[in-house]
Amino acid sequence: MVAIQVENVSKRYGTLTALDRVGFTVEEGEIFGFLGPNGAGKSTMINIFLDFVRPTEGTVSIFGHNCQQEGHLARERMGVLPEGYSVYDRLTGRQHVEFAINSKDADEEPMKLLERVGIRDAADRKAGGYSKGMAQRLVLAMALVGKPDLLILDEPTTGLDPNGAREMRTIITEESERGATVFFSSHILEQVEAVCDRVGILYQGELAAIDTIEGLRESMGGGTKLQITVNDIDEGVLDSIESLDGVENAWLSNDGRKVEVTCSNDAKLDVVIALDDAGVDVSDFRTDEASLEDMFAAYTGGSR
Amino acid sequence: MSWRTIASKDYHESKDSRLVRYLLYLFVAACLIGGYVFPVTTTGDVTKDRFAGFMTATITLLLPLLGILLSYNAIVGERESGRLALLLSLPHNRQDVVFGKLVGRGGFLALGVIVGLFGAGALVIYPFGSVSATSTVSYLAYVLLTLAFGAVYFGIGLTISTATVSKQRATVAAFGVFFVFVIVWDAIRDGSAFLLDQAGLIDGTLPQELPNWLLFLHGAEPGMLYERIIEGFFEGSESGPYLSAEAPWYLGEWVALVVFLVWAVVPLLVGYRRFEVTDL
Repeated sequence: MVAIQVENVSKRYGTLTALDRVGFTVEEGEIFGFLGPNGAGKSTMINIFLDFVRPTEGTVSIFGHNCQQEGHLARERMGVLPEGYSVYDRLTGRQHVEFAINSKDADEEPMKLLERVGIRDAADRKAGGYSKGMAQRLVLAMALVGKPDLLILDEPTTGLDPNGAREMRTIITEESERGATVFFSSHILEQVEAVCDRVGILYQGELAAIDTIEGLRESMGGGTKLQITVNDIDEGVLDSIESLDGVENAWLSNDGRKVEVTCSNDAKLDVVIALDDAGVDVSDFRTDEASLEDMFAAYTGGSR
Repeated sequence: MSWRTIASKDYHESKDSRLVRYLLYLFVAACLIGGYVFPVTTTGDVTKDRFAGFMTATITLLLPLLGILLSYNAIVGERESGRLALLLSLPHNRQDVVFGKLVGRGGFLALGVIVGLFGAGALVIYPFGSVSATSTVSYLAYVLLTLAFGAVYFGIGLTISTATVSKQRATVAAFGVFFVFVIVWDAIRDGSAFLLDQAGLIDGTLPQELPNWLLFLHGAEPGMLYERIIEGFFEGSESGPYLSAEAPWYLGEWVALVVFLVWAVVPLLVGYRRFEVTDL
């Protein structure tokens, strides 16, 4: 079964293109990471899921319900942690969760949910006095109401300390084990890498890549990263290395003392030979498995 | 029934707002004072449908203020702060949100009008008046009309709230409407009469009278309509530029009632339509 189906979605604001013909599907039960730098269009896509924003073209459906025409039916099966929300200052944490329970016609114990997200002690305080992290936990509790089939989390760890981020990951894993589909967006790579089955990388409104993390590594040419310590190198040499077969990217490390290259396993030696041919003095040589961060840099064209 | 959840939340929230509460108290107090003073200062039978006219000036000032204040921030405030994102990420559609707010906040306004006017009605009757079936029906009609008057300004406020994207703009628009319609509207008539006189378009002899079409336009403001409906239906008045026997039909109380009802419904629909199709 398909949980989320995005078909050829574009969103333009005047001459600005926020999303450009994006299409992908998320299967039921998956944990899908939606990755991209800030401003890539991640929130625009999620806002289309929620019908806050109407696409210029294309359609999105969730569990077979068109998000624009039957948005509330889609949202009945969703739990959402939106971006840029704020809580009701005059209502307590418990009242917030009760409101979500009433809105979803669910039958649940508010305190249990608040306990699960770790703000039980603040249940009867007005949410106006909550910190950013507490508000984030509160809204997560609201999203968990009614055991939703799909959790949409927009930058869920914003405002959380490392401990809170870890608890968030635990909850995501628990929800997935219960059978829920999880879709979450992030610009922080390690979180996506830690929990996601599949990743979509959005860059400047376009879907740059979509695959499993292993698949992305493989498409990076075996997923090898070379770190070659050199004494002196001319930037022009990097171009000639990139032109080699099996080499994805080559760049200078921040201190300028290392050449870093992502390439296929077979190409490793070719790189070293090419460096030698160019008269570069190689003093050390190391290989790593490419991290998601390297792929991200490669796909989004950012130098690290 | 998702609007009910929103309505009840909004009702509790409005109740918590001090400004709204005090204004509501002020309105109820003004009604009660009116109800107390009216029999004392009036000679003859105090129950003879003149209380409505007695209260018009107070109500046409306070009720628009209260109605607009309750509604102008209902949507735009939540939109700007991001509460709307939280609300609409739950399975509510936009229709539920507007309707829930209409019922929740409008209910608060209605409560004030009902308490104030029934309290005042009791004070008018007690201890010298008498209650009859016709006077009761007529008073109920008066309360209904006043509720509708509150609804007009509540609707205008809600329209502003659904059509604007920032609280600041909504505030300017809301107080702009209040200022133009409630504070300076009479001056606009005098001003246009003066200008038309200067331009030689109307007879300059006093009292200056506007041409009928301009009277109609000027009289289409909700407060003027409310006043005219009370004079025409409740007091049976047949004098003045609008209600006298020589005035054309379209200046009469029946047309006033129709225009009044248009005011009560159309702004709300326009605002809702706009909110329904816009990107948040």
